Amino acid sequence: MTAVVRTEPDAPVATRPGAASLAGTAAMVRLVLRRNRVRLAVWFVVLVGMIAYVASYYAELFPTQEALDEFAALSDTPGIRALSGLSPAAATLGGAVWTKGWMTVALSLAIGVAFLVTRNGRADEEAGRTELLRSRILGRHAYSVASWLVNALLCVAIGAGVALVSLASGLDPDGTGIAGSLVLGASVAGVGLFGLGVGAVASQVTTTSRAANALGAGVIMGCYVLRMIGDLGDGALTWASPIGWGQQMQPFAANRWWPFALLVALAGGLLALATWLESTRDMGAGLVAERPGRSSAPAGFAAPLGLGLRLQRAAIIGWTITVLLSGLLFGSIVEAMTDLLDDASGGVAADLLRGAGVQALLAMLASMIGLLTAVFATQSAVSLRADEASGIIEPQLAGALSRRRWAGQRLVIPVVGSAVLLVLGGGVLGAVYGSLTGDASQTARMAGAALAYWPAVMVLVGVAVALFGWLPRVAIPVTWGVMAAMWFATMLGEVFGLPAWVVDALPFSAVPYVPFEDMSWAPLVVMVLVAGALVWSGIDRFARRDVVPG
Amino acid sequence: MSATALPQTAVEVEGLTKSFGTVHALRGLDLRVPTGEVTGFLGPNGSGKTTTIRILLGLLRADGGRATLLGGDPWADAVALHRRIAYVPGDVTLWPNLTGGEAIDILARLSGPLDPRRKKTMLDRFELDPTKKARTYSKGNRQKVALVAALSSDAELLLLDEPTSGLDPLMEAAFTESIREVKAAGRSVLLSSHIFAEVEKLADRVTIIREGVTVEAGTIAELRHLTRTQVTAVLDGGVDGLAAIPGVHDLVTVDRHVTFAVDEVALPAVLAAVAALRPRSLVANPPSLEELFLRHYGDELAALAAGSDR
Repeated sequence: MTAVVRTEPDAPVATRPGAASLAGTAAMVRLVLRRNRVRLAVWFVVLVGMIAYVASYYAELFPTQEALDEFAALSDTPGIRALSGLSPAAATLGGAVWTKGWMTVALSLAIGVAFLVTRNGRADEEAGRTELLRSRILGRHAYSVASWLVNALLCVAIGAGVALVSLASGLDPDGTGIAGSLVLGASVAGVGLFGLGVGAVASQVTTTSRAANALGAGVIMGCYVLRMIGDLGDGALTWASPIGWGQQMQPFAANRWWPFALLVALAGGLLALATWLESTRDMGAGLVAERPGRSSAPAGFAAPLGLGLRLQRAAIIGWTITVLLSGLLFGSIVEAMTDLLDDASGGVAADLLRGAGVQALLAMLASMIGLLTAVFATQSAVSLRADEASGIIEPQLAGALSRRRWAGQRLVIPVVGSAVLLVLGGGVLGAVYGSLTGDASQTARMAGAALAYWPAVMVLVGVAVALFGWLPRVAIPVTWGVMAAMWFATMLGEVFGLPAWVVDALPFSAVPYVPFEDMSWAPLVVMVLVAGALVWSGIDRFARRDVVPG
Repeated sequence: MSATALPQTAVEVEGLTKSFGTVHALRGLDLRVPTGEVTGFLGPNGSGKTTTIRILLGLLRADGGRATLLGGDPWADAVALHRRIAYVPGDVTLWPNLTGGEAIDILARLSGPLDPRRKKTMLDRFELDPTKKARTYSKGNRQKVALVAALSSDAELLLLDEPTSGLDPLMEAAFTESIREVKAAGRSVLLSSHIFAEVEKLADRVTIIREGVTVEAGTIAELRHLTRTQVTAVLDGGVDGLAAIPGVHDLVTVDRHVTFAVDEVALPAVLAAVAALRPRSLVANPPSLEELFLRHYGDELAALAAGSDR
């Protein structure tokens, strides 16, 4: 740690209590910048770069107005409305880029900023670093406010970067000036600021960084789902979601500024709430006081599986609820989506399109259940390395417990848990859809369609375990990087102009698109073998190498 | 298991080497823990104590040399050996959302069956509330969790890595009592520590290491031979001739007050000389491990002092 923290306040400590509680903020801003400089740079480059890439790729792909018109017509599907929203100006280059990239960039920024706020908030407090800082001449709110300032700066910088990229790429339709680019940048920044407010409050309410991240991501994803339902219906629920406000700024179309004011006001309100919570609670405490627990553990906790289930209980319950709710939501919107699809098709070859449309839609929703499950499985699999890094593995391995048994039992959770989640999510999706259409066979059919993603999820688990065995020091970030790359490549591979064979070889695209496509077993068998080999290799390596604390 | 013939030494380490990249943590370390004895393991921070213990636990694999734990190979036979040992780390990491009592049960059961009465006794002795979540524990309380788990067991060998760090003096007394019981039961202890008084109180023998090499090893009595007795006296007959006696060091005189250090072999001659000088008062401090330790690291301290002068 070469960071030099100057703890003396830059200005003399003022006598007003408000100013005293901010003493040392400037020094803390430097600390937050120093600690997060790589992360901040990566977020900026990736998100601004994504818009730049989509812009240049689409400029090449749609050189004429006819091509853009075609894109707009093709994009007017419930799937795109639900996942990314559809620009009212989809037939302009700016609108096309917005439709493809805005939701990914805005949502990533909101969640990323919420996580960064936790990292410099609740996580530091949990680890005791904040205590050390606050023992110096440092106001109660100085560290939080410094972290908020830096993150707000990141949002503004990314918004400005996006606006500049948009200007440079000529995304504004002819004759509309630069308003669209400015609104585009502001809408990204605004949603990011919303994520900042959510993260700040979550860090005050919970006592652990994990819970803070779960709460923050949950609220943001909830807002995403709200607008998804809104965009599929009459749009009323879109306005209930701050992400919807960002959408409704409608860059390159209506170019509204006032929803940006709403976003800034909401972020300000959330930060004020967080400040108030921070001034009323004790250091280290959340809203819920710590209660005494059991004085002894059941015998089952001595086994790594029993202990793993106990330690991951909250995550398992949370993911089960998430997957069940997703299945419920997806199952209930299929009909509405196909109705919209009917409208869009205008009755031409309605039967054919409807058949193909519904099946394709169901297959897409099954893949969403698969992607959600993959996050759970990855989270559970990287806990192997997390336990090694924290040092908590050592007293366990000092007991009569072999490394292979420890790792093997712990992996039962992602391996079996993923299968259960896929069947649950797919089954509920099918059951709800089936009950609305009077087709009871949908339950088993959709459970099977989702379960087809199990081998792909296992490949990700295999990657996590192999990295844990061979490259423990970088295993966690690289595993999540692979996971994120898989999401992006699966959902945006076509945009990035990846060769078809690369996209097809990725685990999630290699899964047969059931029920739209026929079931094919070969890719699934190959993936199970690959996953098995990766897991075996990772555990074998772990059993032979030094235990490396983080 | 105790019916089988126990090896004479619980731990036998010879010429142990271990490097982390370019850092040579151990450069040929020797260490012996005889069965049924408490062996102190002394060395400054970063000298390789924890690395040695982690090799004995099979968490790290030695690059070279030989390490034997209860007659077995600490790497290859780890699981079988761990049924017979208990370990207390110097910096205890616990599951933040489990209680101390739960953590004790998990750790104790990993090595063998849990004895609830022993656990209760140890909880009372160390005044630990087992219903609190680990994240609310102070460092001392986390240390107590590991101690209670280890001391509730029947382990033949206890590997203790600075086990009393963070404990208050009362709890250190409880720890001393517990280790004496362990020793009385014929079990073996490797006690890594910074606290000389603790090691002198508990240990039968001591190994002192420095930069990954053993610099001194032997029983406490043997090591005391290497040290000097510190004498302070008020002599009515003056101090003439004292400084000339072989084995007298660092003599300082203020009026009739004199202080000096004496090698053990020179003690009879010096005492005779002092008696002849009509002492009015005489205080002789027994040699301490600390003094020996400081003598071994004295040149390092001198180098440090020289460095800060520049």
